[in-house]
Amino acid sequence: MGGTGSPGEGHMKKKSVASKVLGALSILTLVFLWAPVLLIIVFSFSTNKYGVAWDEFTFKWYLELLHNDAVRDALTRSLIISGVTVVVSTFIGTMTAYGLFKLNFKGKQFLRTSILLPIVFPSIVTGSALLVFFTRLIHVPLGYPSIIIAHIVFCSPVAVFIILGRMQRFDWSWEEAAMDLGATRMRTFIRVTGPQLMPAIMASAMLIFPWSFDDFVITYFVAGVGSTTLPIYIFSQLRFGSSPVINTIGTLLIAVTMTGMLLAFLMQRKLKQAAE
Amino acid sequence: MEVAAYLSPIIIIIVVFVFTPLAIILFFSFLKSGEYGQIVYTFTFENIGAVLGGGYGKIFLRSLYLAFQTNVFCILLGYPIAYYIARYGGKWKMLWLFMIIVPSWSSYLIRLYALKTIIGSKGIINELLMSLHIISEPLQILYTPFAVTLGLVFAWLPFMILPIYAALEGLDRSVLEAASDLGATPFRRFFRVILPLTRGGLLSGSILVFIPTVGEWLVPHIFGGSKVMMAGSLVAQKFTAVGNIPQGSSLAIMLAAILILILYLTIKWGGREALEKAI
Repeated sequence: MGGTGSPGEGHMKKKSVASKVLGALSILTLVFLWAPVLLIIVFSFSTNKYGVAWDEFTFKWYLELLHNDAVRDALTRSLIISGVTVVVSTFIGTMTAYGLFKLNFKGKQFLRTSILLPIVFPSIVTGSALLVFFTRLIHVPLGYPSIIIAHIVFCSPVAVFIILGRMQRFDWSWEEAAMDLGATRMRTFIRVTGPQLMPAIMASAMLIFPWSFDDFVITYFVAGVGSTTLPIYIFSQLRFGSSPVINTIGTLLIAVTMTGMLLAFLMQRKLKQAAE
Repeated sequence: MEVAAYLSPIIIIIVVFVFTPLAIILFFSFLKSGEYGQIVYTFTFENIGAVLGGGYGKIFLRSLYLAFQTNVFCILLGYPIAYYIARYGGKWKMLWLFMIIVPSWSSYLIRLYALKTIIGSKGIINELLMSLHIISEPLQILYTPFAVTLGLVFAWLPFMILPIYAALEGLDRSVLEAASDLGATPFRRFFRVILPLTRGGLLSGSILVFIPTVGEWLVPHIFGGSKVMMAGSLVAQKFTAVGNIPQGSSLAIMLAAILILILYLTIKWGGREALEKAI
C-alpha cells in the first residue's frame, strides 16, 4: 500500500513523521512480545541455578537436558501425539474443505458454524466436556487414545478453514478437464486435485503441528495419570518456579519453530518460482 | 450421498466429540455431588443458581470485563503495528510477520512464566525502578487485575494483529487514492475510509481474542493466583482440585452458553466471512 496520495512536500513530511511514530510503536510492541523469549534464551546459558539471573556463561544445562529421561519420555509422547494428529486432521480437513467447497446441501451454514466452535472455544470448555464424556459416557482410556481424539477435535477444524481458504484461490480447470474426460469425482480428486492442493495441505500441516504440540489445557484435562506430554512436564516443573532446564527446552523449541517457519517459507517461494 | 462421502468424518467429530460432550455436561450440571465426590442422581438447580446468583456470577462478570479490556488493548496495540507493516513494511513485511508469529507459536507456558519473572517483585522491572530510585520498595504487580490483563494481552495480541493486517492488505488502493484526491486529510481518510473498510479484520480478531480470553485459565492461574480468578479458573478448580463434576460442569456449560451467544451475535452481525478468512 506504500506511497499513496499526492506527492505534495508538506504531505510527504507529515507522512514520514506518522510513519516514524508508528514504527516506534511497532518496535515497542515487538519488544513486549519478545522480551520474555529473549530472557528464556539468555538465562538458558547462565550458571544461575534458578534460571532467573545472569551469572556466568555455561552450556551445562543443555548437557543436563541430554541426560534427562523424563524430558525425553515426554518429548517422545508429544511427538507421537502431534504426528498422528497432523496426519489425521489434515486428511479430514482436506475432505471436509472439498465437500464444503463443491457441494450444496441443507444445513451447510450450520455445519460451517459448528466447525468454528472447537477453534474459538476456550480450551477449558473443550477439555472439561471431553473429560466427562470420556470418563462417564463412553469410557475411552485416558492416555494416548483420549489425547489423540481431543487433539483431532480441535485441530481438524483449523485444517478445514486453511484448506478452504486456499481452494477459493485455486485453478479448477484441470479438475473440470479430468471429469469431462470421464474420471469420477473421487478418482479426479486422488489423481488431479489432491496433488495440486499439496501446498495448501502442507501449509495446514505446518500450522497444526505447533497447535497440537504446544497444547496444554485440553491435554492436561484428558491425559489422566502418567501420560506426561512435554507441556504437562513443563507445567509440573514450573509450579516450583523457573528452572534452567526449562529455559533450555524453551530455547530449543523457539529455535525449532524458527527453523521450521523459515523452511516452509523457502519451500513456498520455490514452489511459486517453479509454478512461474 | 456425496455429502456423506466427504463430510461424514467432520460431522462425526462435531456431533460425537463436540455436541454430545456439551450435552453431557449440561445434563451433569443439574445433578449433585455426594460427600466423596461421587455423582448423586437427583435433579437440582443449585449449581446453576450458584453461577446466576452467588459469588461465581461476579467472577463470570469479571471474566467478561477482563476479556473486553484485553480486546481493547489488543486493538490499540495491534492496529498500529498491523498498519505499519501493511503500509510501510516494504521488503521487510515477511520479517515483521515472522517476528510476530514465532513467539506465539512456541512454548506458551514457558513464555508466560518468563513474563511472570519479569514483573515479579524481584523481576527486571522492579529492579530497574529501584535502581533508578523511582520507587523504594518493589511494586506489587503480580496477582493484580492489571497483571492478568497484561498476561492476556501478551498471550493473545498476535491473534489480533494478523487478521487486521490481512484486512489492511486486502484494501483496494484506488479507494484510498480517491479519498486523498477528493481532499480528505490523512486523519479523516483513516477514520472515514480505512477503519470502516477493515471492520471485518477487527471483528474476526476480536472473536479470536475475546472468546478464548473469557475462558482463559492459565493466565489468571499464573498472574492472578487465588486473588484474581476468572471463570476458567473456577472450572479448573472444580474439576482438578475439588473433583466436583456437577459444579464444574455447570460452570463450564454456562461459560459455553455465554460464548455461543456472543459468537452467534457476531456471526449474525457479519463476522463469519471475516472469521473464516482470518483462519
